[in-house]
Amino acid sequence: MTHSPGPKFALPVAVFLLACFAMPIVIVAWYSLMPPRTFDLGIDLTLANYHTAVTEGYARPLMWSLLGALITTLGTALIAWPSAVILHRHAGRGATVVSVLIALPIFISESVRLFGMNVFLMPRAGILAGSLDWAFGFKIGSILNTWMAALVGMIYIHLPFMLFPLLLGVSLIPQDRIEAARDLGANRWQTFREVELPLAAPGLLIGALLTFVLSLGANAEAAILGGRAVTVITAAIEQRFNYAQDWPMGAALTMVVIIVTAVIVLPVLARLDLNRLTQ
Amino acid sequence: MRVGRRAAAVVRALWIVAILAFLYVPIVSVVLASLANTRYMRFPHKVWTLDAYRDALGSFTTWQIHSISLSIAVSVVLIATVLGTLGAVAFARYDWRGRSLFQRILVLPIFFPQPVLGLGLLLSFSAVGLAPSWKTAVIGHLVWIVPIVTLVVSIRFFGYDVAQEEAALDLGASRWQVIREITMPQLWPGVFSGMLFAFLLSWSNLPLSIYTSGPDTPLPVWLFTRTATNYSPLVPSVAVIGTAVSALIVIALALVLAAGKAVRRA
Repeated sequence: MTHSPGPKFALPVAVFLLACFAMPIVIVAWYSLMPPRTFDLGIDLTLANYHTAVTEGYARPLMWSLLGALITTLGTALIAWPSAVILHRHAGRGATVVSVLIALPIFISESVRLFGMNVFLMPRAGILAGSLDWAFGFKIGSILNTWMAALVGMIYIHLPFMLFPLLLGVSLIPQDRIEAARDLGANRWQTFREVELPLAAPGLLIGALLTFVLSLGANAEAAILGGRAVTVITAAIEQRFNYAQDWPMGAALTMVVIIVTAVIVLPVLARLDLNRLTQ
Repeated sequence: MRVGRRAAAVVRALWIVAILAFLYVPIVSVVLASLANTRYMRFPHKVWTLDAYRDALGSFTTWQIHSISLSIAVSVVLIATVLGTLGAVAFARYDWRGRSLFQRILVLPIFFPQPVLGLGLLLSFSAVGLAPSWKTAVIGHLVWIVPIVTLVVSIRFFGYDVAQEEAALDLGASRWQVIREITMPQLWPGVFSGMLFAFLLSWSNLPLSIYTSGPDTPLPVWLFTRTATNYSPLVPSVAVIGTAVSALIVIALALVLAAGKAVRRA
């Protein structure tokens, strides 16, 4: 134990993450404290950018992103729960095939899948509208270029990230517990709330955390499907960096997202036992 | 009761079919869109044709974005496999005092909004005077992929019996022999899965590449910018080609692995 070679093996990864993950966060934090529109790091620290972030309407993009992440998390959970239960309890041998089919799209680029969603939803002669018009002669409108379409895209992209941890969670529920609860007179809802949900909680928690954090920064969905109907926080940051050439302001907004993420992730992560989950 | 059960089974099957349709309809849509030759999408197409594929294969851009994506992915696979395997040894093989902290810090980049990470890296590269290119994109990908490879290899390690190594040492094997004959053969499937994950996740990544690759445009970034602005019929065909290339590379790797195994057995 005292002379364990563990630290030696951990060193390369630890040094890499320190240099390429921790350092950038420190640099962003430092830039966020620089006077507006400067390009160099100095020692005249100021909170002016954070003040501007609050007073000049940047709360709005942040609210859109938080709301979008919340709806995505709830939406994916509602779709993934019954799917996980079916796959675990009823699908038998088919479960592996279906699981692989659900996992595969993760490895196809977001650009490709969102483009596909875009041509599917396209108004008038898109795949959906065009097919319906051709086959049945009825014309439908389209939700493309609305916030709604961006949300559908976010649920679409993040569903596997919720489903797989949840599948793990549902597999932690022993079948006899459910039967015992039913025998004791609990109805479906009571069994779900009192037995299944608490037992599957670790998986649900990881899925929710992953989905929430990933969709908090999501930008491509709003760009490709939402037609920029709303400005999400990532788009606001990008604008500060690229068009406005105001690095300190962009850095301050980046820090706000990092702090929100940390407040949500760190308490949950501190409680999880990572050895049990990978085993 | 019997009818109720039958109905429940049908509802469950329909639910799963609906989920798969939700996931695959957009992918099928890309293929359908690629079979047209018109400037604007008018589905169903009057003429179904493979012209777009011929144009895509004849275009220099197609080859360029693929070679950039390949350079990034190969570099990421090589570095992430080495770092991730070493990391997994520390994560799962040994029990040491800082392990719990190491495990938690390691997963942090996974629970981090990727575009925000990309923007943070972009600013940091500028701060230290590093011009963005495909090489900086490699660094960006690694921050996210090294932890994932570490976890993938670790899963293999948790099922590994350390006593075998001790037994081999007791029987007079050298340290190197133990690593070559005992540790690596058992760990290899995990390392191989890690390599596949690294390749596929790097090849398909948009949110990190978009901010860290500078003037070098990898495949997903090209598709994204051409979808958002400046659409052309090349977009769906290049999307299909790019996805097929990654699938072919993975199949080829799996075949090489299987052949290697067969040779070793013979």
